[in-house]
Amino acid sequence: MISFILMVNKQGQTRCSKYYQWLPMEERVALESEIIRKCLSRSELQCSFLEYRGYKTIYRRYASLFFIIGTKPDIDAAQVGGENKENELGLLEFIHNLVETMDKWAGSICELDIMYQLEEVHFILDEMVMNGYIVETCKGATLKAIDLLERESRKGEAMFK
Amino acid sequence: MSGMHLSKEFFELLKAIGESKSKQEEDRIIQREIATLKKKMDGSSSKGGLGGKLPTIGHGGGGGGGGSGSHNALNQNRKKAKEFLVRLLYVEMLGHDGSFGYIKAVELAASSSIIHKRTGYLLCSCCLAPEHEFRFMLVNQMQRDLASSSILEICSSLIAVTNLITSDMVPAMASHVEKLMNHGSEIVRKKAVIAYHRMYQLDEHTVDRKDLIDVLRKVLCDRDPSVMGSSLNVIESLATVDPAPFKDLVASLISILKQVIEHRLPSDFEYHRVPAPWIQMKIVRILAVVGKNDANASNGMYEILGECMRKADVGINAGYAVIYECVRTITSIYPNPTLLDAAADAISRFITSQSQNLKYFGVTGLAAIVESHPQYATAHQMSVIECLEDRDETLQRRTLDLLYKMTNPVNVQFITEKLLGFLRNTTDEFLKEDLTNKVCTLAERYAPNNLWYVETITDLFEMSGDFVQQEVAQNLMTLIAEGSGDEEEDENGEEADIILRQHAVTIYANLLEKQIAKLPRLLLETMAWVLGEYAYLSEEFTLEEILNKLCDLVKVGKQLAPSTRKIIVSAIMKLVAQAGQCPPQAAKVIDDFSKAKDVDLQQRCLEFQNLITTAPHMLGEILPVDASCEDVQVDPNLNFLDLYVRQAAANGAKEYNKPDDDDDDDEDYYNNYNSSKKKPSAFKMTPYEKPTKPGTFSSASMGGMGSGSKNTFGTGGGGGMSGVTPPPGAYGGN
Repeated sequence: MISFILMVNKQGQTRCSKYYQWLPMEERVALESEIIRKCLSRSELQCSFLEYRGYKTIYRRYASLFFIIGTKPDIDAAQVGGENKENELGLLEFIHNLVETMDKWAGSICELDIMYQLEEVHFILDEMVMNGYIVETCKGATLKAIDLLERESRKGEAMFK
Repeated sequence: MSGMHLSKEFFELLKAIGESKSKQEEDRIIQREIATLKKKMDGSSSKGGLGGKLPTIGHGGGGGGGGSGSHNALNQNRKKAKEFLVRLLYVEMLGHDGSFGYIKAVELAASSSIIHKRTGYLLCSCCLAPEHEFRFMLVNQMQRDLASSSILEICSSLIAVTNLITSDMVPAMASHVEKLMNHGSEIVRKKAVIAYHRMYQLDEHTVDRKDLIDVLRKVLCDRDPSVMGSSLNVIESLATVDPAPFKDLVASLISILKQVIEHRLPSDFEYHRVPAPWIQMKIVRILAVVGKNDANASNGMYEILGECMRKADVGINAGYAVIYECVRTITSIYPNPTLLDAAADAISRFITSQSQNLKYFGVTGLAAIVESHPQYATAHQMSVIECLEDRDETLQRRTLDLLYKMTNPVNVQFITEKLLGFLRNTTDEFLKEDLTNKVCTLAERYAPNNLWYVETITDLFEMSGDFVQQEVAQNLMTLIAEGSGDEEEDENGEEADIILRQHAVTIYANLLEKQIAKLPRLLLETMAWVLGEYAYLSEEFTLEEILNKLCDLVKVGKQLAPSTRKIIVSAIMKLVAQAGQCPPQAAKVIDDFSKAKDVDLQQRCLEFQNLITTAPHMLGEILPVDASCEDVQVDPNLNFLDLYVRQAAANGAKEYNKPDDDDDDDEDYYNNYNSSKKKPSAFKMTPYEKPTKPGTFSSASMGGMGSGSKNTFGTGGGGGMSGVTPPPGAYGGN
């Protein structure tokens, strides 16, 4: 299962973080800073996967922003000693799918867009990943739901102009 | 620029965060923000500036009619509230505590505006710890939203439910979510499946496994592909624990996979010309779990797996990911030679590829295939060595994993050496533990000879003694004590044992020269024990030398664990027994420890001192040489004391009188106690009488005003005044 999804920039500032397994604040901060340090220390020529404290991690860099997904064995499987079966290449491409989706939504996504509309980015993620599982990869379906949300909110404001 | 809708304050905040050059600067900015937000919160309670409260129209923003004016103000407030929450989210995301504002999130989740509701839920999901009581405050709201007629509200709630519920909340929500799996909108159904599974994970009693599986069967055949895709996750999760209930789904899964790879899904599901790769991967993974060890089930899968692999070969990552998944499945299910060859072929291409990511997959795939079919490994030995020496740490670790799976009696020494090399250089605790376990397993399974085993395990202890299991130390000691087993009692067997022990003693005596305080506890204990038992065999060191070394050890280690100290002291005692006399250093050590706080240690030392002074000739018998495997003979009747007893009796000592059976006394005691102190119980044991029904009020003792007279309302116009005697003169002439 996906344990966390992070968007961290080169300087180590977190732009968006989503956790599917609860971690207290101090652990999150430590995790985020250490992982970005590890990602930064790797060269372009090395593979996009790394292992960190029991998390199988996949990362991908877009300009100055790193997208990082950390995975752990599925909760149910872990009870019977199962291993982490996540397909790293599949998740790497999922990151790309996510970026393409955000790109379509924002009309060319950039780091600032994520900063200025943080809650919307979370809403998009909520459509695509639930409880650490990938539930939607079809861009159209995701954006349809977001569009519905935005239209509804504009209606509420416009009615009383 | 997309920042137009933000307030100036928020915009400034983001600008500052974006431009901050150091963590301290960022912390300062956030602290200022926290102060601002706190002020806003305090301000809101008096002026109604933040919450969803309606401001008084008279003072509110003027313009237009009173109606629209108030709504505008309401919107303004809601907008501010939402922005407050987003700023709070920033505070928490950057590592600071924003708990003062959580209550606003809970309030906003009750908003009628969907985007505010969603924001409120979002903040709660991100910030509320599982034990936080606010989670309970949301249960009611979530239930209401689940029953709403608006799809968006239902979806918000389903997402919130998945993130926020704890096991105690499941009974309240389970039925609501279950109903939603038949909802008309696919957006809802897709989420309901996951929410329902989450409840199952938290509370297996309320959400029954059988029900869940029945529901899954229906959802798998849902007309919307996204909903079907969503259910695959749950199926995979459940099947990993127990594949049996899913065996009959194999046919459906294969049919779905067939449709997917034939591009029969809506074109929107294609990702760079590969049709729904993630759905393909999930189905293939489920097939792996269900087909494992099951020839029947596996049989139906061979064709589709081959086709899937072929069709996915389009030269991009998404395709390779699918191919890799197929390779993994082929190696787990019942073997099929054609498919295995195809899989090995794919692995070859991966491992010799230029892309590091693909090499990674090549190595992992090889590890999967080599366990059951080692013949495929030989062709790639060169590539494997290259990967091991690659500068990419991740690739190296994967290769170690591969080596572990490839071990056989021929290459075990080489591989163990490599594993130990890595263990020496790493600081990652998880890796250390993993490698330690691997080395232990390999050493026990494939050790070419005992000597190598002892050396390897000792090395292992030195590097990561804390991770080694207690049993490994035990096995090691048993091995040294019993040698190669009792089958050959001939000369060769004995000699080999002796050489083994000599060698062990040499190694450990040398280790004592090193930084002894830093050695792990298990290692020290093993060492001390071995030295105590077998130091006499050593040709390199004399008994005195080893004795002195042990004394040094025990004096240095203030940090030694109590068990370690005891073992070392016992070893010292054994050596003294063997040496025949007690050197002053050892005597001092024993003297010191006879005053130790640990009672066990004290006892041992005092007994030993006693022995030395009164009966030194007994030492040999009490601490025999090389007898660790023999049982201690115990004579429970203490026959050896018979002589002593007879002598004492002859001298007039009294015979031992076994006390009479105590039971009678006890009974008497209790009886007396009961009879003398028997009191009537303070509890009333007879039931109360049944209460009589109160009759009409007049007969009951309802006093009311001036209750002396009864039956007043029967008279005259008193009408419905029940039970209350009216004051005199209330009815005029009455």
